[in-house]
Amino acid sequence: MYTIDLQSRTPIYEQLYKKVVELILKNELKTGDKLPSVRELAKSLGVNPNTVSKAFQLLERDKVIYSLAGRGSFVSDVNADNVKENALADFDKAAAEALKAGITRRELIERLDGGERSGEDNA
Amino acid sequence: MIELKNVRMCFDDFNALDGVDLTIPEGTAFGLLGSNGAGKSTILRLLSGVYKQTEGEVLIDGKPVYDNVEEKSRVFFINDETVQFGNMTLTDMRKYYRGFYPKFSDETFDKLNGVIKLPEKKRLDKFSKGMKRQAIVITGLACCTDYLLLDEAFDGLDPTMRIIVKRMLVDAMLDRKLTTIISSHNLKEINEVCDTAALLHQGKLLFNRDLDSVKGSIQKVQAAFEEEVTEKDFEGLNVLHFERNHSIVYIIIKGEEAEIRAELEKKKPKVLDMIPLTLEEVFIYEMEGMGYDCNGIR
Repeated sequence: MYTIDLQSRTPIYEQLYKKVVELILKNELKTGDKLPSVRELAKSLGVNPNTVSKAFQLLERDKVIYSLAGRGSFVSDVNADNVKENALADFDKAAAEALKAGITRRELIERLDGGERSGEDNA
Repeated sequence: MIELKNVRMCFDDFNALDGVDLTIPEGTAFGLLGSNGAGKSTILRLLSGVYKQTEGEVLIDGKPVYDNVEEKSRVFFINDETVQFGNMTLTDMRKYYRGFYPKFSDETFDKLNGVIKLPEKKRLDKFSKGMKRQAIVITGLACCTDYLLLDEAFDGLDPTMRIIVKRMLVDAMLDRKLTTIISSHNLKEINEVCDTAALLHQGKLLFNRDLDSVKGSIQKVQAAFEEEVTEKDFEGLNVLHFERNHSIVYIIIKGEEAEIRAELEKKKPKVLDMIPLTLEEVFIYEMEGMGYDCNGIR
């Protein structure tokens, strides 16, 4: 479930950050759920443990997860709203750029309505 | 911590390293990149005490490496040449290195060879090239040193062995803060395994940075403008490469994304698309900037 694309231009830590957020939004990770350890993730993904730590530190900073010394990292309680807000802020930014680049509102709406793979739509 | 201070290494009249300053903190997985003959192996040989530098200092935790048995026993160097140890068996190698390295772990050795199953009584010159490499990697990991130097060692390993080595490195980094220095031309592997990287060219260091910031340090821009533009219009930016195809321009610009974007927006682009470079592209464009490119051959 923690899949990342090693060929991607996006830094590995950033992909991992987004992955955890995505899993929370999709409700596959729930409040209090334990995340795999840095060691487990680094080994299964075949990446540097420092990179995994970096993603965890950022997730912790943004209060998406919290760590208990010696016990591991867990999904925070209050995150659902925060996470949604962040996702919407990202969307706003992308939409603003698209509009500036000459893509019309209609085109954007059509894109949202049709062919989106995410399945659910809460709008 | 590893420190190179203004290191020069000359072989007769050839400057293999020409004033290199480099600091590698503990627990780092460090990638050494560079063109052929850039000086990558020379750095590794200096760190393992094989060579003595012509000038400057090579220090491990503040102590000089050359002729220092104690510091050398904290470093294992996996050489890219596999000619040595031809008359030894794996069992001989184990005994030999156990004598040198105080933290040698038979448990690790057996665990690794339990998976790889190299014959322990066969002479190494009867091994294939890849098997020899495996033998040295197993031994190197079993020495449990604080520093592990891999000179293109990853390149000779099969995919299964690579995964094994990567997993062993994860454990060693977390358990005993192992510092790994890997020289390689396989940038994909460096991207996965390392967190920091340096680029060498003709004995000089071009950069030494966090890998994520390396990848963000050069932008690939695709843009279209109302008016016709030429390379001159972008003089204020650090342009590495400029290409135009009808109304669309492709520019490679060195610098931070936000700054470049702000600068380009001023020219009111109709389309502006920016993507960060992959490590491989950074390598090629940095080298091109140094006059080392493949454009002469099409």
